[in-house]
Amino acid sequence: MTPSMMATKSWVGVLAVIAVFAMHQPIPADDWPNYRGPNHNGISAESRWTDHFSDGGPRIAWRSNVGVGFSSVAISDGLVFTLGNSDDQESLFCIDSQTGKNLWKHSYECSLDDRFFEGGPTSTPTVDSEKVYSMSRQGDLFCFDKRSGKIIWSKNVRAETDVRVPGWGFASSPVIHGDRLILGVGEAGLALDKHNGEVIWKSGAGEAGYMTPLPFQLGNRWFALIASGKFYQCVDLENGLVVWRHRWLTTYGCNAASPIVVGSQAFFSSGYGRGAVLVDLSEDSCKVVWSNKEMQNQLNSSLLLDGMIYGFDGDEGGDVQLKCMEFATGAEKWSLGGLGSGSLTAANNRLIVLSQSGELVIAPATPAGFAPTARAKVLDGKCWTAPVLCNGFIYCRNAAGDIVCLDVQTQPKE
Amino acid sequence: MTVPRRTFLQSTMATGIALGAAPAIHALSKGKKYRTALIGSGWWGMNILKEAMAAGNCQVVALADVDQDVLELAAEKVTTLSGDKPATYEDVREMIDKEKIEIAIVATPDHWHALNAIAAIGTGAHVFVEKPTGHTILESRAMLNAARAANRTVQVGLHRRIGPHYVSGMKFLKDGLAGDIGMVRMFVHGGGGKEKPTPNSAPPENLNWDLYCGPAPLRPYCRKIHPGGFRNFLDFANGTLGDWGVHWLDQVLWWSGEKFPKKVFSSGGRPISGVPILNDNEQTTDTPDSQIAVYEFENFTATWEHRKFAGNAAEKHSIGCYFYGTKGTFHMGWRDGWTFYPLDSKQPTVHVDAEHQEPDGHSIKLLWADFIDAIESGKKPTCDIEIGHYATNLSLLGMMSYKLGRSLEWDGIKEQVVGDAEANKLLRREYRGPWKYPES
Repeated sequence: MTPSMMATKSWVGVLAVIAVFAMHQPIPADDWPNYRGPNHNGISAESRWTDHFSDGGPRIAWRSNVGVGFSSVAISDGLVFTLGNSDDQESLFCIDSQTGKNLWKHSYECSLDDRFFEGGPTSTPTVDSEKVYSMSRQGDLFCFDKRSGKIIWSKNVRAETDVRVPGWGFASSPVIHGDRLILGVGEAGLALDKHNGEVIWKSGAGEAGYMTPLPFQLGNRWFALIASGKFYQCVDLENGLVVWRHRWLTTYGCNAASPIVVGSQAFFSSGYGRGAVLVDLSEDSCKVVWSNKEMQNQLNSSLLLDGMIYGFDGDEGGDVQLKCMEFATGAEKWSLGGLGSGSLTAANNRLIVLSQSGELVIAPATPAGFAPTARAKVLDGKCWTAPVLCNGFIYCRNAAGDIVCLDVQTQPKE
Repeated sequence: MTVPRRTFLQSTMATGIALGAAPAIHALSKGKKYRTALIGSGWWGMNILKEAMAAGNCQVVALADVDQDVLELAAEKVTTLSGDKPATYEDVREMIDKEKIEIAIVATPDHWHALNAIAAIGTGAHVFVEKPTGHTILESRAMLNAARAANRTVQVGLHRRIGPHYVSGMKFLKDGLAGDIGMVRMFVHGGGGKEKPTPNSAPPENLNWDLYCGPAPLRPYCRKIHPGGFRNFLDFANGTLGDWGVHWLDQVLWWSGEKFPKKVFSSGGRPISGVPILNDNEQTTDTPDSQIAVYEFENFTATWEHRKFAGNAAEKHSIGCYFYGTKGTFHMGWRDGWTFYPLDSKQPTVHVDAEHQEPDGHSIKLLWADFIDAIESGKKPTCDIEIGHYATNLSLLGMMSYKLGRSLEWDGIKEQVVGDAEANKLLRREYRGPWKYPES
């Protein structure tokens, strides 16, 4: 069992896998230590939360502002980490999850790079036990002590690798795999020693896609799916070799959404007319099971729940639809407009959707349709950052960097 | 302008037939599919081509682009949408030699418009070219002269002359419902801030950077230029005034019936984004982050202003033209349609919503139909090259004044700046390498 095999066909199955996973690599049950969560699938294992609240919305535990950007939150031991940009200074914030108080922050020069969007960081920090790792749009990579904010090591990935910065900067969040730190930098990723930042392997200098590498296991070997702007690639995590690649040329090289791996199958999706594909993968090749244009994840990734993919189809500014699609066949089950270029997470078989305009909408995840049990406007401005549910709180963020922490606990904690 | 022999023969023949049997030609052409090529196959070029394909009157035979990835994506999209399997070319010259093109769509960065449009006209094609017509005034003049010499239809992508709310708004103005107009103010405001330099890098393997630069200087590549960033680099375009400005300046010409101003002055700079940087290691954009231009016409004065900071929409409208009249203030907008604010507070505000196609709020469908109609009827299209030329000239005169830091007195008949040899040098530019400036 592997983290990436998490999204199996039944919720019971998912819980069973979590148990196994927890033994494999202990993570406190309530933590969300990295982008897309502990299982790299965007789904939370939380059950102690309510999907019913009044139109006024859930109680706001706290608000904060971290500056412009699209970084989501990583949460570990009551510490919330995220990135934002103000006045061409990018900062990593460490916030108390209970009070919203800034515990520490580290700032460094980094241009906003607001070309065709608000700019600012697009990656999310990653916590690994007592360390937190972060990467900027321009490739500034840091390893901090998560409690004190002391820098353990730092470097700029450009200086070490000569990679070309992709058109909209680096968007990969750091991924910890054993002693290694894996990044979507270069054509097919970059691996560093997580303890000191030394390069273990690197790939060609060409432009990375905008996704976060997704580790998975086949047999007893570990691989990662890593996108460039032209391909999805299966990279051997031991040595960085590309064992196969699937042509996936997307306008602007914008392969941003995380793939979904289940067993020996992987789902990829991109916007700009590219569409989606399900492939059978092996250690040396991949074979297309189905492909269609009905699910185009431009910015945010889809989720897989009980054999169904839920995600946003279409390009920002166009007719974007929240859709449900059968994983096995690519058959569309339902489609719903009006949420803009939104994003989603899930827990307890409920979709937790944040619309582009800041409306939080919760509905059961079912191919029968989208029937919200709760909805409330929680933020103004543009929201492209996926919400995070952790420890009974939902964290939402807009492009301007306003963060709202919403209390959805079923009962107040001690 | 030298007209190639083949073009000369074709245009002579076309004229002869048109004189004798124009109605028959028109009837015959119904259902005709024009052999169509797209030159510059990126985002905007494909938006035009999609409308052309949807109209059902073109067979897409060729695509050109200096970026192989862009070409591959465009060809795939064309095949998906129409079933056509266009040949793809990195070099337009090769395409022109091999394909018998009847319509060319030119949607490259500005610095390539003139060479591509004139080459297409030279092969006998009708041309749909994006605004601005030229990157310098004499390029634009050469395009106009080439179109006339070869009797080809050339439509410029000024879709704001045909979009429904612009048409109804202009009728409102011309009917005198805003009274006598004494002044026009054009403006485009958006957000932004200080600009940090972007590191130069080797161009992506899929990009022929030398050919991208073409007649322009071969500056170092950086990711901010391509894809999608050329407008902010003066080597390839003319900033906001050379982009948005052309649309709104054209509204002023449309409303007034004028072709050119008597005097132009422009001032601006980069007080917020900072001094432009270009060295071996890094670069910034170099177009003004804020600019004002004053156009003095025979009977009125129009002003342009743009700003790429404080984009917080504190004013009622952030894009468009105010026409100030004796009966009130008329705003011609984009997505916000048009609105008339009457002076008489007892009168209601008059508003018409915008009707656009997406993406990016345009009316290419109407403009394309008008283009085909012009080809088939022999009439001038709504956004004929001459109209595009005059609108473009206004923006380019503004940029010349901005660069020189002084007012320009413009002889619009001779297309010369009066008594300013240095300014007249800016009517053209030096071309690089084998590229020859088009002679008008």
